Amino acid sequence: MNTKTISNYIQKYRQAPWRTQLQWLIVFVLGLVVAGMIAGLYESVSARAAVVGREVRSLNIAISDGERVNADQESQLAELMSAQRMRERAHALGFEPMEPDNIIYVPVSGYTLQAVTTITARTTLPSMAITPPEYTQSLFEWFVARIQASPSAIGDRP
Amino acid sequence: MKNPNSGRFLLVEVILLFFGFFILARIFRIQHSAEAKALLEGSGPLTLRTFYPARGEILDRDGHLLAGNKIVYEIGVSIASLEKNNNAETIALASSYYLGTDYQTVFDCLTHPASNQTFIVLSNFASPDVKQKFEDLKIASENKPGNQTLAGLEFTPRTMRSYPEGSLASNVIGFVTQEGFGYYGVEEKFNSLLAGTTINAWISMDPNKPDLPDIPPGATLVLTLNRELQAVVEEILDNALQNTGAESGTIIVIQPKTGEVLAMVTTPRMNLNEYWRVSEIFPGETPFNRAITQAYEPGSVFKVLTMASALDAGAVRPEDTYFDNGLNLYGGVPIYNWNNTAWGLQDMTGCLQHSINTCLVHVADLLGKENFYSYMKKFGIGHTTGIDLAGEASGRLRLPDGGDWHQVDLATNAFGQGVSVTPIQMAMAASAIANDGNMMYPHLVRAIIQDGRQQNINPQVIGMPISTATAHTLNEMLSTSLEQESSNALVPGYRVSGKTGTAQIPVPGVGYDSTSTNASFVGWGPVDDPQFLVYVWLERPTSSIWGSEVAAPLFKQIVEKFVVLMGIPPDNIRLQKAPP
Repeated sequence: MNTKTISNYIQKYRQAPWRTQLQWLIVFVLGLVVAGMIAGLYESVSARAAVVGREVRSLNIAISDGERVNADQESQLAELMSAQRMRERAHALGFEPMEPDNIIYVPVSGYTLQAVTTITARTTLPSMAITPPEYTQSLFEWFVARIQASPSAIGDRP
Repeated sequence: MKNPNSGRFLLVEVILLFFGFFILARIFRIQHSAEAKALLEGSGPLTLRTFYPARGEILDRDGHLLAGNKIVYEIGVSIASLEKNNNAETIALASSYYLGTDYQTVFDCLTHPASNQTFIVLSNFASPDVKQKFEDLKIASENKPGNQTLAGLEFTPRTMRSYPEGSLASNVIGFVTQEGFGYYGVEEKFNSLLAGTTINAWISMDPNKPDLPDIPPGATLVLTLNRELQAVVEEILDNALQNTGAESGTIIVIQPKTGEVLAMVTTPRMNLNEYWRVSEIFPGETPFNRAITQAYEPGSVFKVLTMASALDAGAVRPEDTYFDNGLNLYGGVPIYNWNNTAWGLQDMTGCLQHSINTCLVHVADLLGKENFYSYMKKFGIGHTTGIDLAGEASGRLRLPDGGDWHQVDLATNAFGQGVSVTPIQMAMAASAIANDGNMMYPHLVRAIIQDGRQQNINPQVIGMPISTATAHTLNEMLSTSLEQESSNALVPGYRVSGKTGTAQIPVPGVGYDSTSTNASFVGWGPVDDPQFLVYVWLERPTSSIWGSEVAAPLFKQIVEKFVVLMGIPPDNIRLQKAPP
């Protein structure tokens, strides 16, 4: 086989330059599409997290408003049921203050007065971090956290 | 060879280039948008804000709200908005109409703000009604030219102290000003606890940053006061002032076994929702709460302490006798009885029953000055009780080792002259006699509720000035003396102990006012198991100057209400054994 024949073979099997360019372009576009997809995913998750973050803040503000309204209505209720108002209402309904002579005491075996009344034992929410981290972490922060949470070395496995 | 697809390549390149430019343009636009500018010009990405926790509530012993919070609004406008809308005139006009402010003053404030001012507050504590009126007007004027609108007016909700019971127990509770600071009573004493912790925090506009700080509210206080009893005692005292013509009055009801104050009533009282009237209602030196702040010479109620000390020290016994001829020259100073008469031969019960000054001088003399003042100190005379209220006074007890003490002071102190005490001091000291010799710490806070937990305040014994046997003996003597004199303090069905007091009022530089008195009564019951101790003080009564005639009946009235409210049956029923 002479040199010319070999050149012909090479010439025949070599890809045309435009084909090579096209391949590179496809690879580039593919890369761009993949990067775009990742960026899009990141953007979507970040946007959702931001929206949820704003909603959480709005809800916190709504909770504060609700607490204020509760306190306000509690005060209004207490005003409506104040000693003076209750006495006036009782009087209007025909009740009279009890006098010692009006009372009949009946001894009840085993009855004792309650020593100390527990007025309330309200349970409170945890003071901080009421929003799970999933709602505030960025994708990158989540990824880093996952890496940090994974077993770091051989022998660390449970 | 020419690429047959070069045109397509060029098209793709142009599209990509255009896409890239589009992204850059979009970024540029976002960075320089009006919203971004407003963000940077306004609060910026980080804002330092102060968060005020809701002030803790104050409840009575049964959970009735005595002090709570209500919604009010801060109404204000930003300078930027004023410059944009040029509506200072409209806002000043609306403010003068709805808030009662001076038009010109507000207009000047709006048009000539300070150089560093970004926001002008028209009202800090506008009621919801007023806020609604502003909002309605703001909405109604939306379609008018900018300078005729209330555009830019902002309404920020916040809480303000509210007292649903008005003036009930006002002298005990105290009040909170617009600035959020408590004055007088438990509001001042527990201001830090009630107010909670103010938090300064940098708030980020980034929603991915941590949430707003969670601010725990201030602690809630549960008082020992019984609302119904407090209301009843206030009514009784008010009627008494009207009937007796007394200048002022003070009544304390405590549980001698625990030191819990069930009612503390004094005059004048004020509607705590109108705290700005404090200087009008309490002019000059008028004390806010006489029960703890105003020391006075108690007179004969003090004799129970003298007798308790002498009995405990063994200086006298109940059956010991004293012949009263109406005069006791002590240290060359003549001491007379309250009615300038002689009571003849009396035992110690008789001395208390007839409140014989000369006899008590004799008893104090037998006891000796060292013992007498030692006992007085054990009873807490001359010292504050430490009650959990702001502004307690200590009274005054001159001691032999002090420069201003004279020999005659022992004699006068023995029947309650020359010594000044506060009503709460006397109530605490007398509680030792009622409570087997144990003197309890008087307190008003029964429990503190914080972070969802209730911490109950346990009763504390702060001393045992006399023995249990002495307490029982004196208890019996005082009860007998009330019964024998058919006192106005006697309560049908209940055996009670007590002592009246009528004290002349010292006038600086003159001596004693011969025309007016302090009328007092201290009593407790039932004698075998004391559930209540009542201290009554009327200042300068005019219908009668005697404690036995004006103060003792109040004790009876209060006890009759107390036993109903607290469910204490008459002695004959209480002492019955319940059927098995």
